[in-house]
Amino acid sequence: MVQSEATIRVLIGKVGFDPHDRGILVLSRGLRNAGMEVIFLGKFMTAEEVVSAAVQEGVDVIALSDHCGVMRLIAQDIMAELERQGASDICVVAGGIIPEEEKPALEAMGVTGNYGMGTPMEEIVGHIVQRVSSRAKKD
Amino acid sequence: MEPDTVPYDRHFGRLVRDKTQSNIPVKAVYGPADVDGLDYARDLGNPGEPPFTRGLYPEMYRRNLWLKSLIVCYATPEETNRAFKKYIAAGQTGLRVLTDTSTLSGVDPDHPLARYDIMCNGSPTFALSEYETMLDGIALEDVDLESANSTPSGSFFTYVFLVALMEKRGADISKLRGTNINDPIHAFIVYGTPEFPPALARRVNLDLIEFGIRHTPRWHPCTPCGYDMRDAGLTSPQEMAFVIANALQYYGDAAGERGLPFDGFRPMVFSMSSESDFFETIAKFRATRRLWARAARERLGASTPRSMSCRIGIRTAGNSIYPQKPLNNTARITLQVLAAVLGGVQAIDPSGIDETFGLPSEESRIFELDLQHIIAHEGNVPLTADPLGGSYYVEWLTTRLETEAIRLLEEIDRLGGMWKCLESGWLRQQFDRTTTEVQGEINDGKRLIVGANSFRGPDGAISRAIVDGAYKVPPDDKRFGAIDRVRQLRETRDGDAVRRRLRELAEAVREQRNVVRAAIEATKAYATLGEMVGTIRMAHGLCFDPYERIAAPDCLALV
Repeated sequence: MVQSEATIRVLIGKVGFDPHDRGILVLSRGLRNAGMEVIFLGKFMTAEEVVSAAVQEGVDVIALSDHCGVMRLIAQDIMAELERQGASDICVVAGGIIPEEEKPALEAMGVTGNYGMGTPMEEIVGHIVQRVSSRAKKD
Repeated sequence: MEPDTVPYDRHFGRLVRDKTQSNIPVKAVYGPADVDGLDYARDLGNPGEPPFTRGLYPEMYRRNLWLKSLIVCYATPEETNRAFKKYIAAGQTGLRVLTDTSTLSGVDPDHPLARYDIMCNGSPTFALSEYETMLDGIALEDVDLESANSTPSGSFFTYVFLVALMEKRGADISKLRGTNINDPIHAFIVYGTPEFPPALARRVNLDLIEFGIRHTPRWHPCTPCGYDMRDAGLTSPQEMAFVIANALQYYGDAAGERGLPFDGFRPMVFSMSSESDFFETIAKFRATRRLWARAARERLGASTPRSMSCRIGIRTAGNSIYPQKPLNNTARITLQVLAAVLGGVQAIDPSGIDETFGLPSEESRIFELDLQHIIAHEGNVPLTADPLGGSYYVEWLTTRLETEAIRLLEEIDRLGGMWKCLESGWLRQQFDRTTTEVQGEINDGKRLIVGANSFRGPDGAISRAIVDGAYKVPPDDKRFGAIDRVRQLRETRDGDAVRRRLRELAEAVREQRNVVRAAIEATKAYATLGEMVGTIRMAHGLCFDPYERIAAPDCLALV
């Protein structure tokens, strides 16, 4: 359970037309159970819309999901948009069907986690907590 | 501890469950008392006789093996065409057509949101030109086709494109054979695409049934899909109840609103999921046939054995395929295909062992076909009909699943049918409850997934080869080529003909006529999918773009 000083706020959204939403539904429930606050944006979003919502809501983390194998392009657009909106301090994590060979590029962009199906929820929760707390230390 | 000793537990790996995956409690042993009320003639019947619990045909697979029915869809129509031909040569007998994710969502490749999903999970078949390429050299009147595109616009336009292609080639469309999911209620739950909102989706669903019955009598125009719903989180009784309730809704409406009597119509077809829970899956297919025979007779007035029967086409459970130790997926798929054969289904589409890494590689697809050849020819499994019929456990479980599904069907009736259940949010709640329960059990180790939450271990060379072999989405510059392709088509086609045909399509919508014929004509003039979806929407009083990001193009100015 996460009972740190401030509740971690996570925005969950899907960019593009990928309709698979069981992952984000399960994730949002898992993160809420772990004491986080979840803003559930749903699917069929543009990168600009996801980032604007994240900025408006003042979240700590954006959680992306994709089952089409194009997380690299989604991440690229999200990171560019975060920079454009001056919000590069927001952590970005990802999951879904992510090609193995693209994971290093995602990590290099600052998009971490990159979990596949069957990842235990506590592993994802732990990762988000760790990312947010290491960011807090840097500040 | 010495470095080379290992803690030994002779009970390691023992069972953690005493329930099936749908949480039906199971006893350690079953006997005659558990099937006490079972009446052979009433509840089982010989294979080929109502209620078809034991199968649809007296000789079952000796008469016809199941269709080996693969979804074939790669990034371009050219690649997909080559793959179809290769797999047909390797024993594929059912051709399942799917598009890429943006086309499935009802838009053209140049839609601003499409940039992420062009060529993902299939080809951007945005116009007839792409179908001509994808199905080049395949005589459509000779093959079994299935549309796996099951969003409301996906079901509609796959059929429209197939019929238009046949007419363009001069083929007899009455010979079109196969199935179309055309199940908008399930689509709202699992896809949630907004292109045809419920009132419009409901009308288009009935237009497809009506046109299909009148003009392509060998085509099943509406084959409710439990597969997607099961994969999104339902239990087996929920899957059974919802496909049956959806069929009752659509065919009941077709009779009531379009004067299309159900009796004398072709057998029902359900698209369902085959799971790793072996006996529950077998029992599910048997129970579905029995329950449908009764529902069709009592609710739709079916009086002939044929119109009381339902064929079942399955896909093995995509959500059971895991990326951890992926070699294990061969065992899962084998179990699931075997369950489908023992359950007496009519079409099988197995998942790829590499499906969590990309689309199935060619080798993985060939394995899926060979797996079925091995079950048939080395395993001798299909030699006799319903080999598990009479098993105390299987018969008890069949009845138990049926009983739970009946309880759900009664509840759906009380709530006013499936459209009402969708609108009220009841259907969504059914999913949420089940997925929460299942996820909780996975987290707590009460539901073991080998390699994921138990029996974990490192991947070796075989796993790495599976990962590397999966078919990956092409690089962006190739994907974005589809944008040029659609723009080029718009420049080279006869613009006046497109405008005229789109206007006629809009008139058909406004005048409450069946829209299928007008859409076929617009397709033959090379109107694009996005234009036709937008035309239908505008004539229905909606804005052009379902995603509200672009304005209507000039060619729709007069629509």
